[in-house]
Amino acid sequence: MEEAREYQVNLEVFQGPLDLLLFLIRKKKIDIHDIPIASITREYLDYLDRKEKINLEREGEFLLIAALLIYIKSQMLLPRETLTEEEEDPRKVLVDHLLEYQKIKAASALLREKEDKQMMLWQRTALPSLPSKDELELTEVSLFDLAEVFLTLMKKKEQENIRFIHGKDYSLEVKMKELIDFLKENRYLDFQEYFDHQESIEEALVSFFCLLELIKARIVIAVQETLFRSIKVWLRQEARS
Amino acid sequence: MSTRLKDVIESLIFVSLEPLTLEKIKNICSEFAEMEIKEAIQEIIENYASNQRGIQIIQAAGGYLFSTKSEHDQWVRRLLRMEQKNKLSRAALETLATVAYHQPMTLAEISALRGVDSTYTLKTLLQKKLVKITGRKKSPGRPLIYRTTDRFLTYFGLNSLSDLPSEEEISKILDEEKIFE
Repeated sequence: MEEAREYQVNLEVFQGPLDLLLFLIRKKKIDIHDIPIASITREYLDYLDRKEKINLEREGEFLLIAALLIYIKSQMLLPRETLTEEEEDPRKVLVDHLLEYQKIKAASALLREKEDKQMMLWQRTALPSLPSKDELELTEVSLFDLAEVFLTLMKKKEQENIRFIHGKDYSLEVKMKELIDFLKENRYLDFQEYFDHQESIEEALVSFFCLLELIKARIVIAVQETLFRSIKVWLRQEARS
Repeated sequence: MSTRLKDVIESLIFVSLEPLTLEKIKNICSEFAEMEIKEAIQEIIENYASNQRGIQIIQAAGGYLFSTKSEHDQWVRRLLRMEQKNKLSRAALETLATVAYHQPMTLAEISALRGVDSTYTLKTLLQKKLVKITGRKKSPGRPLIYRTTDRFLTYFGLNSLSDLPSEEEISKILDEEKIFE
């Protein structure tokens, strides 16, 4: 009676069918090398019966072992012509498997002890590692941020650029390629610095236009490391190749 | 001379976030003999262990690294605002033990040994970088093969795989029946 009560354990507490099987073997104080297959199968199936519904996803594995147990029993019942020493006990495969699993279970328990001990120790590795350059907390800037910076720059340029020299024409395509090449080589481009170095308003305008196009095409990304800091343009990761 | 080497090694271990191996120390301190280096390391370890220091040097994954002592755990957790570190689930621990003892292993082999489909568990272990993929098995379907990582060793405070609980330890605990509730 008392024993029966002890068995009021849910299937969920077991890691799997082998765990349940081992539990039953232990409880019944059965020698693992000489398992009475019939009685253990009955016990095992009783457990499965406790479940109102068998969820095949999860309990399918329990059924698999149940089938194996029944198969083993059937093999043992079959009459054999000769009973030699070498003849394998049909239980052997299962027993070997159980023994191996039992070892793993014991090793897990020992590793758990080590884990507990180790958890009390803190290493510098335990702290979050420093973010790499690509993971800076960046805020993507809006078109208005860009336009604002651009206008200030242009005003500056206007003042120093009184001479109006007609120069070369700037092609959008060439400029775009130039920008991408620059980014591939330098990882990023400082918005302010870049436009400071443009030769003329004309060139700056074309460059700015290109930049907007590239942002729109999601080839580059304009970001600000922190508020009020300079805007940087990065090549998007996926466009890098 | 030897005191200086000791200080150098101490600095090297200090700046290392991963366990610093003897091999690396030897490469860096190439003008010193291996014996000297080993002695210096031993001296540092003993210094930290004997002096009443808050930190110690531990050996893990074949290297040396600084670590706090267990008695200060709760204070560190206060600083980091951490209640308790998350432990591995039973399934994760079991899967990890399976891989550790039988590696290299495929997912199918792991699942077969545990008697439970281990796809999900293995995935979380991969994410935690406690196991890694090391190639493909030359068998039909060319399944991926898994091994434990150095981080696995560090996580459990093991110096190498040979530090895993031994057969004797395992049979001892099995006799005690402690693991069966």
